[in-house]
Amino acid sequence: MRILLVEDDLPLAQGLQISLRHQDFAVDHVKNGKDALNTLAFADHDMVILDLGLPDMDGLSVLKAVRKNKSAIPIIILTARDSIEDKVQGLDIGADDYLVKPFNIDELTARLRVIERRLGTANSSIIAIDDVVIDTLAHKVIVNKQVLNLAKKEYMVLKLLMENAGRIQSREQIESHLYEWGEEVSSNAIEVHISNIRKKLPEKFIKTIRGVGYTVES
Amino acid sequence: MSIRRYLVLILISVITLVIFIATIEGYKASMVKAGHLFDMQLSSFADTLINLEPQKNNITVSNKDTLAFQLWRNKQLVSKSSNAPNQAISVFKEGFSEQNFNAKRWRVFSLQKNNTWIIVAQLLKPRFELAEKVILSAVTPIILTIPLLSLIISLIISYGLKPLQQLKTQLTQKGINDLSTINVVQAGTELQPIIDTLNRVLSQLDSAYEREKRFASDAAHELRTPLSVLKINAHNLQYEIGNDNLLLNNLITSVERMAHIVEQILKLNQTNPEQFSQQMQKMSLTPIVQQVIAQLYPEISMRKQTIEFIDGHIEIYGNEFCIVTLVQNLIANASKYTPIGGRILVSTKQYQQEFILQIEDSGPGIVESEINKVFDRFYRIGGDCNNSSVVGCGLGLAIVKHIVILHQAKIRLLRSTRLHGLKVTISFPCSLTHHHKEQNNNDKEVKAIHE
Repeated sequence: MRILLVEDDLPLAQGLQISLRHQDFAVDHVKNGKDALNTLAFADHDMVILDLGLPDMDGLSVLKAVRKNKSAIPIIILTARDSIEDKVQGLDIGADDYLVKPFNIDELTARLRVIERRLGTANSSIIAIDDVVIDTLAHKVIVNKQVLNLAKKEYMVLKLLMENAGRIQSREQIESHLYEWGEEVSSNAIEVHISNIRKKLPEKFIKTIRGVGYTVES
Repeated sequence: MSIRRYLVLILISVITLVIFIATIEGYKASMVKAGHLFDMQLSSFADTLINLEPQKNNITVSNKDTLAFQLWRNKQLVSKSSNAPNQAISVFKEGFSEQNFNAKRWRVFSLQKNNTWIIVAQLLKPRFELAEKVILSAVTPIILTIPLLSLIISLIISYGLKPLQQLKTQLTQKGINDLSTINVVQAGTELQPIIDTLNRVLSQLDSAYEREKRFASDAAHELRTPLSVLKINAHNLQYEIGNDNLLLNNLITSVERMAHIVEQILKLNQTNPEQFSQQMQKMSLTPIVQQVIAQLYPEISMRKQTIEFIDGHIEIYGNEFCIVTLVQNLIANASKYTPIGGRILVSTKQYQQEFILQIEDSGPGIVESEINKVFDRFYRIGGDCNNSSVVGCGLGLAIVKHIVILHQAKIRLLRSTRLHGLKVTISFPCSLTHHHKEQNNNDKEVKAIHE
């Protein structure tokens, strides 16, 4: 996957480039908003990591300009501002994700992986956790070398949990991932899906965090 | 004492005193004038009598017996008024004198012509009466005008002090954090310099205050980027030389700790009740607690702890940033101080007139002697930052305290009956009327009670 890194702080950009290359990402770096827009106009990047504090123009303006061209390229915002207003504004304008400095590189790569899988650009379409393997290209789940038959929604729930392994997915998050807007969802639909998946998977593979949601330990 | 009342009282007293003194002096002067007048009358009376030389004795005089006379020739009483005694009224000496007869005091004038003496006398009382009448008629209108004068004086003084009154009103109406300048119409040369100085101080204070506030966010921005560089490069180094290098691991731990302290100091600043100016709004605690648990879950799961949320679906009136920070700090604390494999229980509920957020853990709890100290800045349980095994900087609960004060809530540290560790209870009032002025009072309400 080819990433465009827009960051004016050189040491940070260099460090990030090295880290991301260790994780087998291809990274191009530009130092300001104008270069970013020019590069995006002709080059073929899969996603953008965008710093909000740029010398020539506000990162949010870059974001707006990209979205104005009807480009749906995934954009992760990096910022030193942590107010909720800033976050909401960034996400409203069309950012896909938001990381506040100083962030953990693992956190960043985890989020990049999620986007990668969503885009289908991952080198590997296979996520393996414990004895459960999910092939997101072939839409297959394999447990102890046995292919599992899961209903479509059940597969989507499991895929979401495994793609976000280590993180909690709330019932609302799962619902919004599974159902379209306005689609009728019964109040216990997610519980029913989870309990159906659990019957076919190793015990305690999906953990319930009472009052919060579900998770698969990474 | 009010300047206005002082001026009114002093002015009216002084005016009354001056009128009083003037009255006395006027009375004295009137007496002298009246004396002259009557003396002239008396001497012309004597002149007339001495030239007429009446022979008849016991002449009745009119004027209500205020006049009397005696005519002596060769020391023999020739004629007298009926009200005059038979003895000489005064010694035979020319000029004025005052004598007593008929049990009254008289003004006496003696006049000699050849061997004839005329002695005329006039009662003194009419003189006093006249003088009194004169002075009274002069003074009465002045005395009668004193109330009117007082009214006018107090009105004038009130009008003159109007700019001062305006200044007072503007200053008392100012909120604690209102550093806008003061504007008084027609301040006058006395007040204008004061207002100018005050406004200069206010605007200096305002810009200093703004700088102070901006400093926090600037510092955040300036520190966060180099911290990111440190973290990423340490991470890259670890990738290249392996993760069993002690020096590198110490470096990484210290960078993590520094990043944590910087974040906490910034939050402490942002939630300082003296500087807090953000909006409060109604919000549900459910998504906030869920998000915070989800965000902290990697840490919690790494420590093999279980966390539960019993949702009472409560809505409170608060500031989102603050409430998120509060929940973050309390759950992070619970996780930090609870041993590996422990339990954390978060619950919300409404109880009587309060909305309650509770965070319980199965850790060691806080011993009584520490309870009041944990809210102090940089205080760490079990010693200072350097020798405690738990990573932290001792600002978490100080920030929590700030937020509790801002929301007029109460915090209690108790022993959890369910998990036997610490139970932190935050109770938000159900009906919150937001007054900045009350914030200072609420400082006292941050209580730490131990069961």
